[in-house]
Amino acid sequence: MSPARSAEQAAGPGRGPDVPGACAQAPGSPAIHAMALTKRYGRTVALSGLSMTVARGEVFGFLGPNGAGKTTAVKLLLGLVRPTGGEAMVLGAPAGDRQTRRQIGYLPELFRYQSWLTAREVLILHCRLQRMSRPRWAAAADEALRVAGLAGRGDDKVGTFSKGMQQRLGLGVALLGEPALVVLDEPTSALDPVGRHDVRTIIRELRGRGTTVFLNTHLLEEAEHVCDRVTIISRGRSVATGTLAELRAPRPGVRLRVGGLADGWWQRLAGFGRWTPQGEWLLVDDMAAGRVPELVGAIVSLGGQVEAVIPERQSLEDRFLELLEDS
Amino acid sequence: MSAIWTIASLTVREAVRRKLVAACAVISVVLVAVSGWGFDRLSHGSGFTSGETNLALPQAVVLFMFMFSFVVALSASAIASLAVSSEIDSGVLQAVVARPVRRSDVLIGKWLGMVGLLAAYTAVVCGLLVAVVYWTSGFVAPDPAAAAAFVLAEGVVLLTLVLLLSTRLSALAAGVIGVAVFGMAWLAGVVGALGTAFHIRALHTVSVISQYVMPTDGLWHGAIYYLEPPSFVTQQLADSPVGQGDPFLAVAAPAWPYLTWAGIWLVLVLLLGLVSFERREL
Repeated sequence: MSPARSAEQAAGPGRGPDVPGACAQAPGSPAIHAMALTKRYGRTVALSGLSMTVARGEVFGFLGPNGAGKTTAVKLLLGLVRPTGGEAMVLGAPAGDRQTRRQIGYLPELFRYQSWLTAREVLILHCRLQRMSRPRWAAAADEALRVAGLAGRGDDKVGTFSKGMQQRLGLGVALLGEPALVVLDEPTSALDPVGRHDVRTIIRELRGRGTTVFLNTHLLEEAEHVCDRVTIISRGRSVATGTLAELRAPRPGVRLRVGGLADGWWQRLAGFGRWTPQGEWLLVDDMAAGRVPELVGAIVSLGGQVEAVIPERQSLEDRFLELLEDS
Repeated sequence: MSAIWTIASLTVREAVRRKLVAACAVISVVLVAVSGWGFDRLSHGSGFTSGETNLALPQAVVLFMFMFSFVVALSASAIASLAVSSEIDSGVLQAVVARPVRRSDVLIGKWLGMVGLLAAYTAVVCGLLVAVVYWTSGFVAPDPAAAAAFVLAEGVVLLTLVLLLSTRLSALAAGVIGVAVFGMAWLAGVVGALGTAFHIRALHTVSVISQYVMPTDGLWHGAIYYLEPPSFVTQQLADSPVGQGDPFLAVAAPAWPYLTWAGIWLVLVLLLGLVSFERREL
């Protein structure tokens, strides 16, 4: 399945509109649908024709190196900046729609909150801005503090918080009111390993509740741990979209250890793929999918003893770098 | 409306928490106390005749209010310059406007909060001044409430202009430009007064244009007028070059058409600020 194809299928049948605005009234519209989204600042192209579909309930990774246009894309989706081309629909409404923002939680890359307020006051401020009913404020703030790992620090001034704690607070703010879509822009940039683990747990819990998570990150490990699908962007352009398995293994291969045959025996099986001797191992890549049993059978028929067969997958980092080079 | 109220109350709370209100209160009390001592000396210890004292007291009150109007204007400029641009730079505002609120509600809320603070500050200081001047000298200006209202209006005009600038420029640039424009408007008023006194039409015209472009000086003259006893502005003084050239003398209250224009100016600049903030990319 091609990455682009997989994106459409993930959006569900009939849920990936092809015409702008078509999903506005569709009840089963994707969480995010961007169509040729473009942003230029003067002569600088920050985002160039980004098209993608994020299904409701999935954890979607938006990967790219620094300066690739990730934050610009997030700001376009939230209506903080206007596109110079294309358009985007978020939860079935045009990006930036005020009513729809009630269902969106957002942790900005530059997470700063009123330093002179306490953490609880910041959360209650956002409850008010979110137009949550007053009786729910206290419980919502307490729950957000608990989830963000700030229970017991709710009455401390934000100005006394470390950067990591402020980022945790930002996460709590983003999760207020059980939004349908949570947009996290580099959510672990200031966190220690424990904090990163906590964020992954929170994201998995969100997925369990059916919340869509749009995770903007340059940390491949983060995406590998939690994302259902990712889009990789480079220089403002999307260069690949798909599940991590799809992105990691465009050329499946296998690592073999074989005994009982003379040197160079493998040259007789060159048709299976590209062979590379690596010490006592042989790496076979560029193989057609599903040919491993056939290969093993061919080796046995040559009189070889197959001691080990290890499926080879390209690491996401290797694939990431390869895609960036290609772009 | 609830978002406007939320932001307005947040603005007031910030001023309180950041000790801006406490600092202004301390400075104002010191200022009024020192002024009270000055008014007492002027009334009882100067060796002036009662006629001379009656002439000096209104002038001293006008000078105090002139200084205070500067404090109000600088305060307005300082708080308004930080209201938008510094919050955009720090990222605080992005988290707020990503919520289901209109950007116009955010800006109007900030404006209302700051105007409320300015109004409270002006009312307290002017009230204290009136009380202290009366207590030490027995002098009461003809209409101190109207004078305070004009000083407040002057501050609100500058606040609104700096808020507009703050939607596009850095806090420093917005504040500096606001104060510079305020100073230039006052200077244009002085130049205009000299032009009137010495019959130099061009200088007078510059002053009139300046009062329409930036109404702070025109409003300041309203404050002066309501601080001077009617007996103080004699026809003779009003007609003399000295009287006409005195930047601390007003022979008439600002006319209603001018006040209407000042109101329109305020609304236009505020609307411009709303449009500018609405279009600002965050």
